[in-house]
Amino acid sequence: MGRRKSKSAGGLVALCILCVASLALFTIYVKEGDCTENGCGPLHTVQLGAAEVLRPVRAIFSVVAGPFEDTSAAVGDAFRRGDEKQLRRDALENQEFAAEASRLRQENERLRELLDGQRPPYEYAPLARVTAPVGDQFTNRVIINVGSADGVQPEKPVIVGNNTLIGRTTDVSRHTAEVMLVTDQMFAAGVRIVPPAELDRFTGEVSPENGDAVSYGEGMLSTGWEEYLGVEYVDMSAEVKKGDFVVTSGRSGDYELLFPPGLLVGTVESVSSEDYDQFKKIVVTPPTEPQDLQEVRVITGW
Amino acid sequence: MMRHSLSRAAVVVAVAALLEAVLSPYLTFGGISPKLAVIGVVFAVAGLQDLQAVLLGFFGGVVFDALGGGIGLFGVGALGGLLAGMLAARVGVAPRGAEVLLLAQVAAVAVAARDVIGLVAINLAGLEGPPPIEFMLAGVIPDALVNALLAYAIGSLLLKFVRVKGAM
Repeated sequence: MGRRKSKSAGGLVALCILCVASLALFTIYVKEGDCTENGCGPLHTVQLGAAEVLRPVRAIFSVVAGPFEDTSAAVGDAFRRGDEKQLRRDALENQEFAAEASRLRQENERLRELLDGQRPPYEYAPLARVTAPVGDQFTNRVIINVGSADGVQPEKPVIVGNNTLIGRTTDVSRHTAEVMLVTDQMFAAGVRIVPPAELDRFTGEVSPENGDAVSYGEGMLSTGWEEYLGVEYVDMSAEVKKGDFVVTSGRSGDYELLFPPGLLVGTVESVSSEDYDQFKKIVVTPPTEPQDLQEVRVITGW
Repeated sequence: MMRHSLSRAAVVVAVAALLEAVLSPYLTFGGISPKLAVIGVVFAVAGLQDLQAVLLGFFGGVVFDALGGGIGLFGVGALGGLLAGMLAARVGVAPRGAEVLLLAQVAAVAVAARDVIGLVAINLAGLEGPPPIEFMLAGVIPDALVNALLAYAIGSLLLKFVRVKGAM
């Protein structure tokens, strides 16, 4: 009996000690910060090392999970038969857009020849493949197969296409980097809302139709717990319409923000407000779904 | 006479932590994700002494943290594993046939505890977290229930693997 009591007491003592150890680990990890300024601390280094070691394992699971994800998407589509008419209408609309886009592309190429050299001078890391998702219900992140060896650093914008922001790098190891997607609840970016006619989607440049004295709606892009992407803190007086583009603002007053200006992050899906609200409630549709991501690029300098 | 093998329990805990870190992102739906590391700890340490159970739970949690699982904050998995280990060791012996059910309930409580620890850690780290009440209702409770079902489904397999013949 006495022996059992002493074993149980030993367990409780160990529990207390290990609780303190866990809290110490947590505190050290948070105090280490990210790897941007003073290099990585020991706990971050352990995680980065594990990310390198797990790279092939994640790649294998990604390949194995691919068909299941496709099947899941196909089953989901099968249950959305009611959307067929809407899809047909959208397809017709898209064909019209494609024709218009073709004309504009030709015009764009001609104008670009004239303006050669005036694109934003971004520096890119090599094209990266999305290896696997990581995290749990609190996060929405993926691993890509470029790392510090390719010039990637933490807190750099990650894009698809020419100009579409899909997230930013967080932890970077030698050959991998973790990307926090725009739909992650911890992602935030300073943005402004621009009418489609005034934004060049290729370069991200904004050209006001009525001269320079135009004030666009500005706010902070973030994903709420309800899992919709939205822009917060947009002034009630700002003019925002459905279909407007949401682009990174680059600066907030005198402060330079994390992302260069003009990166597209989505289109406005709805705008609403109640009498008692201080700000507008704006829901944004991201240009790409996280599960559709395959190849991305990290902007390493601008 | 069957007893829990410490080495087999350690293997189960380590493999469960690895599987959760790699597989869980594919199986996350809203606020629900499979907490294989917690389930692994609960079933692996259930028949061990308190000291062995907490050490193994802590070990599993640290492995999970090191692999960058969950929210990626070091210490959260360790504390979660520790609590899961202690709960499983202290729950006592259930009547034969009911132990999987009992341990599934322990797993549910341990999962809920880890979710809450995760939320507290996010807020302590100064990161954006969901509103606590909504998270309790829409995140913690369904997550605990689904993981209890998962634990009930795979529990007997885990117990079969961990147990070996021999004197206690």
